[in-house]
Amino acid sequence: MLLTALVLIPALGILPILLASRSAAAVRVIAVAVTLLELAVSLLVAARFTVGEAGFQMVESVPWLPSLGVRYELGIDGISLTLLVMTTLLTFISVLYSTKVITTRVTEFMIAFLLLEIGMVGVFMALDLFLFYVFFELMLIPMYLIIGIWGGPRRVYSTLKFVLFTLAGSLLMLVAIVAVYLASGPEGGRTLSLVDLIAGRGRFSADFQVWVFLAFALAFAIKLPMFPFHTWLPDAHVEAPTAGSIILAGVMLKAGGYGFIRFALPLFPIGVQAWLPVIITLSVIGILYGAVVAMVQKDMKKLVAYSSVAHMGFVTLGIFVLNEQGMMGAVLQMLNHGIVTGGLFLFVGIQYEKTHRRLIAELGGLANRWPLYTTCFAVFTFASLGLPGLNGFVGEFLVLLGAFRFAPPTGLGGSFWGPVAALGVILAAVYMLWMFQRVMLGPVREAYAKLPDLSPIEMACAVPLVVLTVVLGVFPQPVIAVIEPSLKHVLALATDPSIQVAVR
Amino acid sequence: MSGDLLGILPEIIVAALAIALLMVELGLKRERARVIVPALAAIGLVAAFAAGPLTTARTELFGGLLVVDSFTSFFRAVFLGLALIAVLVSPPYLERRGLPVAEYYAMILFSTLGAMTITLSSDLITLFLGLELMSIPVYVLAGMQRRDRFSNEAAMKYFLLGAFSSALLLYGFTWLFGIAGTTDFAAIAAAIGRAGLTSGPVLVALALITVGLGFKAAVVPFHQWTPDAYDGAPTPASAFMSVAPKAAAFAAAVRIFFGPLAPLAADWSTAFALLAVITMTAGNAVALAQRNVKRMLAYSSIAHTGYILAATAAFGADTAAAAGVLFYLAAYGLMNIGAFASLLVLDTEGTRGATLGELAGLAKRHPLAAFVFAVFLVSLTGIPPTVGFIAKVFVLQPVLDAGFTWLAVAIALNAAVAAFYYLRVVVQMYMSEPEEGAPRVVSGWIVEASLAVTAAAVVVLGIVPSTLYSWALAAAAPLFSVPR
Repeated sequence: MLLTALVLIPALGILPILLASRSAAAVRVIAVAVTLLELAVSLLVAARFTVGEAGFQMVESVPWLPSLGVRYELGIDGISLTLLVMTTLLTFISVLYSTKVITTRVTEFMIAFLLLEIGMVGVFMALDLFLFYVFFELMLIPMYLIIGIWGGPRRVYSTLKFVLFTLAGSLLMLVAIVAVYLASGPEGGRTLSLVDLIAGRGRFSADFQVWVFLAFALAFAIKLPMFPFHTWLPDAHVEAPTAGSIILAGVMLKAGGYGFIRFALPLFPIGVQAWLPVIITLSVIGILYGAVVAMVQKDMKKLVAYSSVAHMGFVTLGIFVLNEQGMMGAVLQMLNHGIVTGGLFLFVGIQYEKTHRRLIAELGGLANRWPLYTTCFAVFTFASLGLPGLNGFVGEFLVLLGAFRFAPPTGLGGSFWGPVAALGVILAAVYMLWMFQRVMLGPVREAYAKLPDLSPIEMACAVPLVVLTVVLGVFPQPVIAVIEPSLKHVLALATDPSIQVAVR
Repeated sequence: MSGDLLGILPEIIVAALAIALLMVELGLKRERARVIVPALAAIGLVAAFAAGPLTTARTELFGGLLVVDSFTSFFRAVFLGLALIAVLVSPPYLERRGLPVAEYYAMILFSTLGAMTITLSSDLITLFLGLELMSIPVYVLAGMQRRDRFSNEAAMKYFLLGAFSSALLLYGFTWLFGIAGTTDFAAIAAAIGRAGLTSGPVLVALALITVGLGFKAAVVPFHQWTPDAYDGAPTPASAFMSVAPKAAAFAAAVRIFFGPLAPLAADWSTAFALLAVITMTAGNAVALAQRNVKRMLAYSSIAHTGYILAATAAFGADTAAAAGVLFYLAAYGLMNIGAFASLLVLDTEGTRGATLGELAGLAKRHPLAAFVFAVFLVSLTGIPPTVGFIAKVFVLQPVLDAGFTWLAVAIALNAAVAAFYYLRVVVQMYMSEPEEGAPRVVSGWIVEASLAVTAAAVVVLGIVPSTLYSWALAAAAPLFSVPR
């Protein structure tokens, strides 16, 4: 019942918010309380999780649409647990920070955020393809409203672009899901339950897998986003309010990477082989392109947004080199990117709220006035560029290790992709350090010389992220231990099409 | 004989109610009539719903002229429900515009009666009678604002093209009669099974009937009347017109094409699939360019015709196809009548109806209406957790099962395009400030309550659609158990 509780808590939290809608202060307190409760329950789930098992745990399964064989089926393994806890933490931090900066239509904002949280936690727990799709789409409308109502000057254009891109991809995935359903067995025995589908994946012909994988991959590639489907991302990030950016980069992009690992890889191993060269190539292009474009950005938020494109390139690269180091790196990169980039967007937001400036050229010398701010920001900057000892290093290092070991039967192998992808790490150091230097160092500008450093609420938002950045950098082993068994299982399924038994 | 009459009790109630309303109004003062007449109509519709079974074994009445089965029961509920919503949201508008009361509600009821008759038919004559009884009152509804030239244009266009399509349809029926020598569905099916499409007359009949019903359902390229008719008609009438006649046309299409013309399915299903793609693409493409919200909804309803037609084309998937059509019609009925009715909170007297700009900032001026409108639009887009999403899935499933992968992809791409113009309205309502000179916001608790209940239904059916779908499956079953 704990997993269903995670779905229900935000849903039920909407009611008291509606009742208290006359008082913005009360709404804020309730929203923070609800997301804190959600975080607590997700930690409880983590505490009850048995480390070392590969299969799904705490599975809840009830028929939902019997005529379509669709079930309300939730469950978690090591991979989803990691992302689940990250989600509830980032949501809590976003809501906490928003209590300070969101002043108009507070009730609507908090309701949108709770609806968003339902979709996000659901995506990482759903074990039925249909249910997954529902949660995947459920994230869409709240984020559309969050960007469109509380966003910047070009919010309407950006939010429509975001929705249309995502929707175009996901609707094709819906067609593919229905096709999978029809191919899953004879009439009356059809299913969309992941575990049953994996067990019966021998029914999916090679041709079928190639096309259906493409439809899934398109949806996930747009969500992630992979080059060249990334164009919605900078627009959406620049216009989104800070909390929206944190969630968008921290959680929603991960739904794409998670979708690859959870559904596309185990279900369509032949499809994976067919499209693997394309995806690897696009990933590496994304790493370099994101980094090069980030270098020339004038706007801090846009710079961080493009750095996300590069970081997500590492995620898909790690997944599709199809070895243990690469995939472990990809999962850790998703987790770490959520924490670090969530932190970066938070700090760009904090800075903007104080100075009302986001253009790098208009800033400078913040370090002289804001020691706390600068320290935290430095931690995130160095983690983002992959400094050993901070969490960003772990994921990227493992992905590169995996890339070097990549040995496909034909085509370019790891000795090509490894060094090229490693260039991305160097470029990341260039754009991140350059930004840090221009924003933090140098003389203080008159215009904001008197502005205060981090407030207690801002500290409360920042501390968990900073702590995690350091801890996961120094001591990632516990998280690796949680992820490893599930990851090995997924990898075995993805690389050997003859395996038909799934771990329940 | 009395058993026969009992079998059509819901229809008898609706007919009696319509006549009674016309007479009751004569004895009432105008102000009182504005309250009592719709109240009576609503009570009568609920009574008619209660008078019929929810599912029933196939029963032939009046010597085989009529048939009552679960298909009939399903559509009775759909038509009565849509009429009820239309009745409940109309009164304030009629009062503002000074439209005649009894005639308006009587026309809605007569049209509903015609629609119900279609689903009772097991014979070409009954079916045609039902179609005409359904259509003619709607022409009157479109032209009810006698002094408004757009309303006149709407009625005239709708009537001329409607009459034209009826004539084509009837002509097609006569060809069928000529081939089979009977008007009974089962006998026609047997005769056509012998004749096959290779025979010229069958081809002519098939083409004429397709075109005739295509007009009624607004299939491209027979759709030209739709935007003008929906746009010019009084808004609550547009709400009714955009759903009930379309559902009735598809009920007729399913009765005929899944019945007597089923032996030809291999021939018409591909043609339907092509028409479906043309219809949804053209509807969406033109809807993108609309600034007037009523016209946009009109073109969007054409796109939805395309989706429903796609499910009809998937005849090869058996009951799943018919159930998909039925479920989509019920879902579309709720969300589209709701979308049109949401516009009723704006008093657009003397204009052609709300433009996008006039909806700007509606979330601040009338939060409830903006919210329910947004729910209906999200559902029309097909995003979970709304019934519109589930309906799309139940269309995609038979379409893919019947082997029309390209059609399923076309539906998905079209739905993405449609998202643009639906969400643009949400943008206006939630992300823009109210404009100077925007139309007055009017409210009435019955309208608001009806909208809220309809929106709640759209969401609840999106989360727990099982019961409705099982009902649709049960309603589709008799179509496939009749001897052909």
